[in-house]
Amino acid sequence: MHELKSTPKRYQNPEVFELLAMEYAVGSLQGRARQRFEVLMDTHFYLRATVDAYEAKFANLVELLPEKQPSNQVWNNIEAHIKESSASAAKGTSLEEEKTPWWQMNFFKQGFGLAAMALIISAVLVYNPMTDHNPNAVASYSAVMESDNNGETIAVTKIQKSDMKLTIDIMKPMAIADGMELTLWCHPRAGGKPMKMGTISKSGKTELNISEQEWKDLQNVGQLAVSVEKKGNSNITSPSEKIILKGQLSSAL
Amino acid sequence: MEDIYAELLHKTAMGDQLAFKKLYEQASPKLMSVCLRLMKTEALAEDVLQEGFIKIWDKADTYTPGKGKAMTWMSTVIRNKGLDKLRSLKTKPSETEIEYEGIEFASTELKPDDLEDMSQDIQGLMVCLNKLKPDQKECILLSYYYGHTHQELADKLGKPLGTIKAWIRRGLEDLRPCMN
Repeated sequence: MHELKSTPKRYQNPEVFELLAMEYAVGSLQGRARQRFEVLMDTHFYLRATVDAYEAKFANLVELLPEKQPSNQVWNNIEAHIKESSASAAKGTSLEEEKTPWWQMNFFKQGFGLAAMALIISAVLVYNPMTDHNPNAVASYSAVMESDNNGETIAVTKIQKSDMKLTIDIMKPMAIADGMELTLWCHPRAGGKPMKMGTISKSGKTELNISEQEWKDLQNVGQLAVSVEKKGNSNITSPSEKIILKGQLSSAL
Repeated sequence: MEDIYAELLHKTAMGDQLAFKKLYEQASPKLMSVCLRLMKTEALAEDVLQEGFIKIWDKADTYTPGKGKAMTWMSTVIRNKGLDKLRSLKTKPSETEIEYEGIEFASTELKPDDLEDMSQDIQGLMVCLNKLKPDQKECILLSYYYGHTHQELADKLGKPLGTIKAWIRRGLEDLRPCMN
């Protein structure tokens, strides 16, 4: 097994970290090694993105399992927990009852002033876990970019709201012809015109600033792609040359 | 194949408790099976299933189709809960029900009818796994389904620890190009 105590630089070697990510996803990386890897995943987003990708692939194994009905008590406990949370955080209503619109609640019929109402709404907005379900709560997006030829992991992309930056790390330097450059694109899930994010380096990290509008539009993006374009061809609005890398975009809180 | 769980998960993310109940009813038998193999006893398995579904309720909005099928995302959430629970227990449960020990359900001799019901994703993964040596495949599947450590696999299979580590490492190395 690959030891985790060796130099941190080893985690930047795809040959090493991809195998560790597979071991983590399978579950054979355990004990202290698993804990150390989890610490590293918190600081190196490409490890997290690679693990996510392998976890999704291995999770298909669950399909082979025979089914086993849990006891009714499990759902009763889950339901009780949700109701309790709802009561304390005003998250929702009973499973069996029709939801009561907030403006019809007795609380509001009793003539509280606008100031009190504003205060309550503010409190709900701040503390209500429903706000966690808002797409605006997304803190970052990531994508593992694979070669369109052989599916090999080549790069990892992370986009963070905290600094409004897109970082793409090309871990295996790309061989491209003179006079050509790499361009990163975001393709909407529903199809249509892609967003051109900018030109990126053929090796190592590239950081691109993103606008508020681009951040907002990312919630509709399904796939990232890198194309090879002629240098200086800045007027293009969609890939005009070959796509060499692709990766699905995932969001995280 | 249509992802029947994704829509329910999406509604769950919007706070729809009826959709969440339906999601639980449809997905829990398969996920209970995951928990049973990891945790070995029904009581612990149900604890993990319960904690896992509460996490699914809390984090449903973080699921996107880019993370794979909804069922694979949920099973990863549940399985990681189970692995965390196993790690938190000082000793693994010794009481093991015999029916939760083997990997016959992942046999290579699946009937054509079985294959028809499977998604392309699992069919592809099985093709990759079937290319491995039997020992490598067995170790990887036992690790996945039962959360066995290298030492537990060595004890269970009666092989030296180094052999088990090598089987898993080489098996994963061989799997990588196929899975990609």
